[in-house]
Amino acid sequence: MTTRTRYFVIVSLLVLGIGLGTGLVAYYVGFPAGAFAKHAGPEELGFIPRDATVIAFANVQEIMTSDVRQRLRSRLPLKEDGQRELQDRTGINLESDVDRVVACLHPDTTTTNMPGAGMILARGRFDEAKIEALMRDHGAHVEDYRSKRLIVGEFHEAQGNSFALSFMEPGLAVFGSTKLVRSAIDLHQAGDNPQAGLQSVVGNEELMDLVHALDTGNNAWAVGRFDALTSKAHLPDDLSTRLPAITWFSVSTHIDGGIRGVIRADARDEEAANNLRDVVRGFMALAKMQAGSRPEMQAMMQSLELGGAGKTVALSFDVPSQVFDAIGAIAGQKGIRPPVH
Amino acid sequence: MKPPPLVQSSVRIFDLSLGQMLWSRRSVFLGVLLGGPVLLALALRIVSTLYEAGFRINGVRAAGASIFGMMIWLLYLRFIVPILGVFYGTALIADEVDDKTITYLFTRPIPRRAVLFGKFLAYLACTVLLVLPSVMLVFFLVVPTGGGSIGAAFPSLVGDFGMLIAGLAAYGAVFAFVGTRVKRPLIVGLVFSFGWEPTVLLLPGYLKRLTVAYYLQALVKHEMPQDSAVSVLMQVFREVPSVAASLVCLAAIVAGTLWLSGRAVENREYVLEQ
Repeated sequence: MTTRTRYFVIVSLLVLGIGLGTGLVAYYVGFPAGAFAKHAGPEELGFIPRDATVIAFANVQEIMTSDVRQRLRSRLPLKEDGQRELQDRTGINLESDVDRVVACLHPDTTTTNMPGAGMILARGRFDEAKIEALMRDHGAHVEDYRSKRLIVGEFHEAQGNSFALSFMEPGLAVFGSTKLVRSAIDLHQAGDNPQAGLQSVVGNEELMDLVHALDTGNNAWAVGRFDALTSKAHLPDDLSTRLPAITWFSVSTHIDGGIRGVIRADARDEEAANNLRDVVRGFMALAKMQAGSRPEMQAMMQSLELGGAGKTVALSFDVPSQVFDAIGAIAGQKGIRPPVH
Repeated sequence: MKPPPLVQSSVRIFDLSLGQMLWSRRSVFLGVLLGGPVLLALALRIVSTLYEAGFRINGVRAAGASIFGMMIWLLYLRFIVPILGVFYGTALIADEVDDKTITYLFTRPIPRRAVLFGKFLAYLACTVLLVLPSVMLVFFLVVPTGGGSIGAAFPSLVGDFGMLIAGLAAYGAVFAFVGTRVKRPLIVGLVFSFGWEPTVLLLPGYLKRLTVAYYLQALVKHEMPQDSAVSVLMQVFREVPSVAASLVCLAAIVAGTLWLSGRAVENREYVLEQ
């Protein structure tokens, strides 16, 4: 064998060896998310388990500073109890500390909770020491998990439900069911590892295709499996049989001067999609009749557009800023005043 | 004087032939053939990186693993593997006859069939060492696009490697046999690969068992792409033997055709044109 033939064989075997070695490491240990390519949607999706039933995203900063929110805030007495409770329990101020959030619901078989377990991944600026101290004051304790600090609190102690908060990297907080937070840390550190049964939602082609369509030009969206949600809802038989046969649903909105968006449902087959279109058409006609005498409402109703083809039913809407002014005016007539900040 | 044993002689011929095969003009063709999918994969990767919409098929964003599976089917299995088998397999003995150098090999104190076996091993090493790295590069370029996972797709890559080696061995052995028996082996090989096999696979019945592709397709784990009416027909009449049966049949094809080729080389008298 000549020298150049030997070199060729060595180079070829090296390429194969490196490739197979890398593949084996990816298969058994996993790679950190995004090691080889960027996926669609926010990068936090790489930390959500593959079998999540619902995923939602919100660009909190854009929504909080939007004209719609400012108008509503100045005219309506919006109760911000949930926001306050989150701040009380975790020290996180949703308005100033958080840039964007990604949330998910997971079909947890160990719990009887209706939607299953949940988790929120938030990007922003967090005072980790303050948040940890506040949570400890509320009875939480600290655990170590894969060299990350996990602040674990209990709720519904009798049922053994617990929630946890962890800072996976500077500026990224994960909060939710302890089991989900642990799997998020696993995915963050090792990436997809099919051998260990650990895969992120990024590998779910069907869902990611929907996510990609939603992620362009919207500052809030949600997507999920309708059938998985209804199966957990323990609905009465006669009601569950009347529900439209929807597999996937998604809602995408852009909140700025107004709210525009699309509600989309993927039916099981074309017949189910046609039935659903008929139902929606009926509701639209009723709503247009109700809006009759109010020009600002009429503008909104005129913006409703039913679309979609085949198994997909889509309803687009555009709520103009005048509608929020009208809501404010109605509230004013009824003597409802906004809170003094 | 007792001639050296068959295996030892075959290894000597292998050593001699590997370099000749790698640095021949045919290797330029091989390079272009195998560089094509890599360049295509690179282009897909660039598109996927530059444009957020990624690579789409019929308006739907295609996952990397699906594109890789499609490339294995359409480029490697249906085109590259058979064509490498045809060009290299038929040339194992025919080239030496055309170059009038077969006499030098046959006058050595080694069994004649060792020439064929050594050259077949060299063909297998040459093609495997070029095809597998090409597939490896395509895998790492394409699979991560569209949110694909290297770890999840890795077992299918290992399966593809096994399938490609089996395919190269089977096609190489069949066309080596054709090369030793037929006057114009290249034409016969091309007609077999791109005429007989695709046609017979479309038809219901037992004729498809007289192809290599029938057994090879059973080893592919990726979904068969429905890129044309022919593919849809193939899907309809697709009859998949078990993996074990396919492996046994492919091994039998390799062993049988190599044995027949060895016999032909031993018994045939090659008359070189002056």
